[in-house]
Amino acid sequence: MTDHLSSELLIDYLRRELPPQDDALVHVHLDTCTACRREYEVEASLTEALRAAAAREEVEFPSLVAARVWEEIRNAKPSPLARIAALWRPLVALPVAAALVFAVFLVGPMSHSGPKIAASYYLEEHAAQQAQNPLTERGPAASHFIETSALDSDTSTELADEADYGVAATGVIDAVR
Amino acid sequence: MPCVKRRAVFALALALIATVGASTSRALASTTPEGRAGQLLRESIDAPKNVSYVGQLETIRFSSNHANATIVRIEHRAPGMTRRWYLAPEALYGDYIITRGSANYQFDTKQSRVTVSHNPSLDSQIAANDSMSRVMTNYRPVLARNDIIAGRPTVSLILMNKYTGERVMRIWIDQTTHLVLKKEEYHGNGSVASQTRFEELRYTNAIPDGIFATEAPAGYAQVAGHDFAMPSSDIERVIRDAGFTPITPKSLPQGFALVSGDATTVNGVRTLHLVYSDGLRGISLFQNATGAAADFGSLPPHIIYFENHDAQYVEDGPTTLLTWQEKGLHFALVGDLLRNELVEIAKSVVP
Repeated sequence: MTDHLSSELLIDYLRRELPPQDDALVHVHLDTCTACRREYEVEASLTEALRAAAAREEVEFPSLVAARVWEEIRNAKPSPLARIAALWRPLVALPVAAALVFAVFLVGPMSHSGPKIAASYYLEEHAAQQAQNPLTERGPAASHFIETSALDSDTSTELADEADYGVAATGVIDAVR
Repeated sequence: MPCVKRRAVFALALALIATVGASTSRALASTTPEGRAGQLLRESIDAPKNVSYVGQLETIRFSSNHANATIVRIEHRAPGMTRRWYLAPEALYGDYIITRGSANYQFDTKQSRVTVSHNPSLDSQIAANDSMSRVMTNYRPVLARNDIIAGRPTVSLILMNKYTGERVMRIWIDQTTHLVLKKEEYHGNGSVASQTRFEELRYTNAIPDGIFATEAPAGYAQVAGHDFAMPSSDIERVIRDAGFTPITPKSLPQGFALVSGDATTVNGVRTLHLVYSDGLRGISLFQNATGAAADFGSLPPHIIYFENHDAQYVEDGPTTLLTWQEKGLHFALVGDLLRNELVEIAKSVVP
């Protein structure tokens, strides 16, 4: 090593790019050579100035914008295809399949693919028999009340059309008297 | 001969005593508050057969969390013709129903359609008498505060359940004509289940015949509606007709009894309908052995769980329909009772 350190050597020292042995020699020399020490400090301040200038030129998202971006990412729903794909991952698919088999086993006997009886039939029959009670408001108001009660779902017409309880208009209400 | 004379005198004396006794008891019955209340109740039930009127009737029926209200203009000609013309809700506005005896003619002005149905219970005097008898057995009529309803002075009666002491119904009776001008029904917890009252009322015998005309207007289609069966009190025969062994409730609210039944085929399903009543309130228990569940259609059912049963229920005003299955039978229980009261009955429907 010469009496004074070169600029290239000082820069490599600053960037911690020297081999350990050379790094140790430079370190010792800077402790004893005032001129090299001054040169080192000039190089160090210049490097710091360059870093600061580079940092100032970096553009960051405002924190609010960044928060919204992250929120969108977290709330983003996977596409239907991705969801189906996720379902078929073995860890999910196997328990789901098992649950489905179990549900079919339980519900199977209760499933009602056959005939059903309209709830409105039960309500109307009950209301008709209530007409026997002496203080019941007479007349067919009850069936109208049934229709009225369904008005929230805008289905009064549908219910009125169900007077045949879901079967042919000829009627299969075959009363046995 | 003297013996015959003595017998005749004795018989005459007995008849006289019986006559005096009966008239005395009637007089006492009508002079005591309870006797007067019972007499008023009977007269109020018969009043529509004797008075004709026009008016406006408002009805509110309360579910557990909402209410349905209707307003009808009503014209009634004694003894058995009535027209109800809907003013509200808007969806029913303009529709009207004419009742003549047991026949109903429902005029749907939006679909230009007349639906004709029959309900023999409407004018069954026997059924009405039986119901009245049950009312007097299970309820105590109590005179309450008088009031003015639709501009007319009324006498108010509260019908108290004799077993529970609960107020089940209150009616306001026109002091002159004895027509019921207002009625409130109550649930077991005291809440109002329904209210019906006249807002306007005018007694008149001059209602034009045309009001009760049942001919379909031009352009209207006439369709056959539901012909309701007259339930039979011969329960054994009805059960035989059903073709399966039914299960009946082991526990009912006090005063309720099985009064009639009917076996019907609905949508190909043999269905047994048993009617329980305490005179004022009724419960219908339907069951079938064909596995036919209830189709709630546009009435979204709620799920309720009891005694290992996943049951479903819907409310129509104060009326609740509860369905479940047990031992291969499908049940539907309908009544103007609180949901928990119906569930208690349903729990007792076990073999």
